Amino acid sequence: MGQANAISGQDLKEMFAAATTWLEKSAADIDALNVFPVPDGDTGTNMLLTMRSSMEEAYRVADSSASSVAQAMARGALIGARGNSGVILSQIWNGLAQGLVEKETIAGSDLVAALLQASTVAYRGLSNPVEGTILTVIREAATAAEAHAASVSDDVVSIMEVTVNAAKESVANTPSLLPVLREAGVVDAGGQGLYTLLEGALHYLKGEVEQLKLRKPWMIASSVPLPAKVPQMVGVEEVPYGYCTNFVIKGQELDPDELRKRLGKRGQSVIVIGDDSAVRVHIHTLDPGAVMHYVTPLGTLHQISIRNMDEQYQDFIKMQKERMPAVDIATVAVVAGEGLSNVFASLGTTAIVPGGQTMNPSTKDLLQAVESVASEKVIILPNNKNIVLTANQVQSLTTKTIKVVPTKTIPQGVAALLAFDYEADLETNAENMNRVSSAVKSVEVTRAIRSTRLGGLDIKKKQAIGFLDGDLVAVGDNTDDVLNEVLAKVNLDEVEVITIYYGADTKPAEAEQVGTAIRQQRPELQVEVIQGGQPHYNYIVSVE
Amino acid sequence: MGVKIVTDSLGDIPPEVAEELGITVIPINVRFGTESYRDGIDLTTEQFYERLAHSKIFPTTIVPPLSVFGETYDKVAEETDEIAVITFSHKLGAGYEAAMQAKELMKRKCRVEVVDSGWVVMAQGLIVMAAAEAAKAGASLNEVVKVTRKNIARADARMVFDTLEYLKMGGRIGRAQAFLGSMLKVKPILGIRDGEVFPFARERSRAKAIDHLYNFAISFSHVDGMAVEDATTPDEADELVKRLRSKFPKQRIYRSKVSPVVGAHVGPNVLAVAVLGDKG
Repeated sequence: MGQANAISGQDLKEMFAAATTWLEKSAADIDALNVFPVPDGDTGTNMLLTMRSSMEEAYRVADSSASSVAQAMARGALIGARGNSGVILSQIWNGLAQGLVEKETIAGSDLVAALLQASTVAYRGLSNPVEGTILTVIREAATAAEAHAASVSDDVVSIMEVTVNAAKESVANTPSLLPVLREAGVVDAGGQGLYTLLEGALHYLKGEVEQLKLRKPWMIASSVPLPAKVPQMVGVEEVPYGYCTNFVIKGQELDPDELRKRLGKRGQSVIVIGDDSAVRVHIHTLDPGAVMHYVTPLGTLHQISIRNMDEQYQDFIKMQKERMPAVDIATVAVVAGEGLSNVFASLGTTAIVPGGQTMNPSTKDLLQAVESVASEKVIILPNNKNIVLTANQVQSLTTKTIKVVPTKTIPQGVAALLAFDYEADLETNAENMNRVSSAVKSVEVTRAIRSTRLGGLDIKKKQAIGFLDGDLVAVGDNTDDVLNEVLAKVNLDEVEVITIYYGADTKPAEAEQVGTAIRQQRPELQVEVIQGGQPHYNYIVSVE
Repeated sequence: MGVKIVTDSLGDIPPEVAEELGITVIPINVRFGTESYRDGIDLTTEQFYERLAHSKIFPTTIVPPLSVFGETYDKVAEETDEIAVITFSHKLGAGYEAAMQAKELMKRKCRVEVVDSGWVVMAQGLIVMAAAEAAKAGASLNEVVKVTRKNIARADARMVFDTLEYLKMGGRIGRAQAFLGSMLKVKPILGIRDGEVFPFARERSRAKAIDHLYNFAISFSHVDGMAVEDATTPDEADELVKRLRSKFPKQRIYRSKVSPVVGAHVGPNVLAVAVLGDKG
């Protein structure tokens, strides 16, 4: 840059031209993050196109004061804004330009004022601002810049550096603010896009041209732990996303605020920005005709774009699949209990059918799950001996190729799932999963539902009973004692890992106590206690 | 004048082996905040992990300026007019691009061929070492490049992880993101496919995970090179070498450490086996 402690209009142009190139390198990665407000996978592209339009306009102005350049950029962004994120980005440019009015060059204090104004204007354009998005990122970045300038330094580069770092942290934190991001295990795409732009600009300011040329922006990872990737739940109705509708109205005495209010009733993700002579509208609606009908009398319509988001969503799903290991084999598992479902989901099950002891799913339930997954090859994990036969029926009802790995318990199902190999074919996977699942020992503790005599043991109704690999081996009044009695029958010298899944009727503290007791007796064992939330069984324990 | 081999520090070639084979290693840089260290020169693996254990800053890595590549080429070109540069996978960083562009900075006249190994760690190392051996035996640059391309398809490696946190933070998780978020404690075993990190297996215990490495290594019927490397657990690595040696008594099994730059992306406690060979 030219002058040491201020950014000239020329620098402003150059730095965001560099930032646009920087953004271009990761536009596809940003597309893949896009889940909010609609997972249509175009955020990176939209922001890039918006920036290109912005830069074209910037290069068209002859006057090279910072103020003129910023205003040209804002104008270009408004004309060329695409999609939700593009429109909000154009508002950020609008705010920056407002903050830089009459500035020849940008000193540290000007930059802070411009960022704060950008944040204010970005929020103002939306009828319903949502946190955990690009809005949060610009606000937190601007606030950090303000604090740094007030207390540390008003050097423009150091302010920009702080801004970029704050933006990064803010992006990483977006999943903790917006549940849909947390569920998808991604950060906000628009936020990542804004961060990438700011980072590119900073590289330019610091003279790191080589970096810009050679490297590629890295995607920010979420700062909250990634959740279980939510598997496809069977039988959930799909809600249509409708049409992403964009246009500009030109006319006289237009009232953006009034229009925003009116359109708010006709769709989601409504953004209305502009002034009394030109207004840009972005809305997701099921009835674009009604929206167009409403706005037509207000003025002339320009740059009309109506896109089917359900189609976009399908493309997005396809794109997401391409980024994961090529799984042409799906797994369908029968699981009861929220905790256990989460465990299976976190290990990569494609679909879960709720069910288990006394709630055996029907063949139809399993078939529906099999048909719901995209893969033509499906492995079914019944996880209960009474469901194995039902699972075997599925093959005769579908054209897909089915392998049933006859897991009889939850521990066997988990072991099988862990052995899934992304590289292996269906046969090999089924064989491997079968082999490892029979190597694990399963302990189950439940309450007897009636008095009986079984396996040489007299059992009274409601007594605790313990099974080892399906065989009744212990009975008693206390579930913990019964669990220990069953474990005593296993040769623990050859065991490395014990996983205790406690049921819906078992207190967490009690389960932890059981785990602690085993750890004390056998410090060499890896003991995990997990809330399984399963009905009927107080404990399901995997010994391997 | 024979062909000279240049590579980057991500191949984890033990320094004495690099010297023995006349391999020039360009250090990639690791950074803690604003402090930058040259891999293996300013910072050893031990020092790096010591620092990592106590640092609040997350380390980052960066390819050195093009001039470092250019100057290295010029220096090597004092003794040869043919150089083969073998880099780490271009999908994991900018090393290949830098190696290519630096050719234009050279002052000396010398033919330079750059090959993307598609790998990191000792899988890259074994490919580079085989190239150096071919060069020593008198192969031409074209022959060295041809052998190297063939070996790229014959190299493979598996690494056991304690945590995928570092891979995730550093943005190199690739397709192994499928292994993120596990609610059970598992030991992921990763490798590389098509230049990117790939999830191969998950085991419930460290012992089973190390067995997995052993089984992976002995699945090769013909072995031209084998290496075991650790980050912070040398005893485990030595033990694994011992087991492998009884299976491959005639094979030299190299012992290596993951470099600080690799360490910044994989974290502590990783253990890896690399093999150059054929299966089945």
